[in-house]
Amino acid sequence: MSEYEELAKYEEMEHQVTLTEKELLEDGFGDTPFYHCIITEIQGQNSSEDPKVVGFAMYYFTYDPWVGKQLYLEEFYVMDEYRGLGIGSGILRHLSNLAMKTRCTGMMFVVAENNEPSVQFYKRRGAEDLSQEEGWRLFRFDKDSLVKMAAPSEE
Amino acid sequence: MDFSIRAANVDDCKDIARMIMELAEYEKVSDHVKVTQKGASCSSSDSRLSPGTSDADLEQDGFSKNPFFHGIIAEVPEQHKTKEGHTKIGYALYFYAYSSWSGRAIYMEDLYVMPEFRGKGVGKALMSKVAQLGLAAGCHQLNFAVLDWNKPSMDFYLSQGCFDITDTMGYHCLRCEGEALKHLAQL
Repeated sequence: MSEYEELAKYEEMEHQVTLTEKELLEDGFGDTPFYHCIITEIQGQNSSEDPKVVGFAMYYFTYDPWVGKQLYLEEFYVMDEYRGLGIGSGILRHLSNLAMKTRCTGMMFVVAENNEPSVQFYKRRGAEDLSQEEGWRLFRFDKDSLVKMAAPSEE
Repeated sequence: MDFSIRAANVDDCKDIARMIMELAEYEKVSDHVKVTQKGASCSSSDSRLSPGTSDADLEQDGFSKNPFFHGIIAEVPEQHKTKEGHTKIGYALYFYAYSSWSGRAIYMEDLYVMPEFRGKGVGKALMSKVAQLGLAAGCHQLNFAVLDWNKPSMDFYLSQGCFDITDTMGYHCLRCEGEALKHLAQL
């Protein structure tokens, strides 16, 4: 969980993380996984030390009816002290390969517009900002609104 | 007006493909998309995609053992069919997603009602069904995307209690596809 907390802090949203370790376990490693994860480990100085997790990515498959399967990158993080070493690029390379192997036509993700380093990182690699270029806005119904909407109509 | 909402099955693909095209026309990009029940290809002038290499096969992708999306259909009785004879007059496509902060989520990829059947509660009923399915699966949020010029849709959604996270949190959708994706895989 600590890497999530670090990423949430980076995005200044740590108070919004409500997902528990138990849910993460069930949702990723149960009968019907809702997500998949890859991790980057480095070996310690001594061979007897456990490898240390320094980066991870969480992804799942989505669908665009016009062009088909997409690989959706939900979360992507490299610990501060391990940045600038090509770990992030390595993770993206692995995921792009996976996207192509699973016949996805694209890889999609969401970035906060004020996250300049990340926006540049992705644009350098050929990503297009669909919100800017095509005018797509993301909307969300939270749990309370979902419950209201699911209730039978009074009409 | 009498209508019913039900899960889509493989026999609905023809009508789903038809309505995907109608939605594309509404979104003003129909010259970029060709959808059939068996496949879709983009004849895009901006060369992001080349025809034949990016087919969306609705039957395979939605109705085989490992579906990548699910559908629901809005149907009217025979006596209300369109002049072309269609009784399937609306649909929604959705899939399950995940938020690393709040867990299970449901993503509504498409929501469409044919023009002559709008304003009668069909869209609301389709969305309500997606909400029910999401809650039944343990989801905590329903996410979707709307085009910024599409004021009627934005007004409808906002009246139902959602919020614009592009506006409030500055979230932008990015995509890496075609040559850029191939290049990334080789880096």
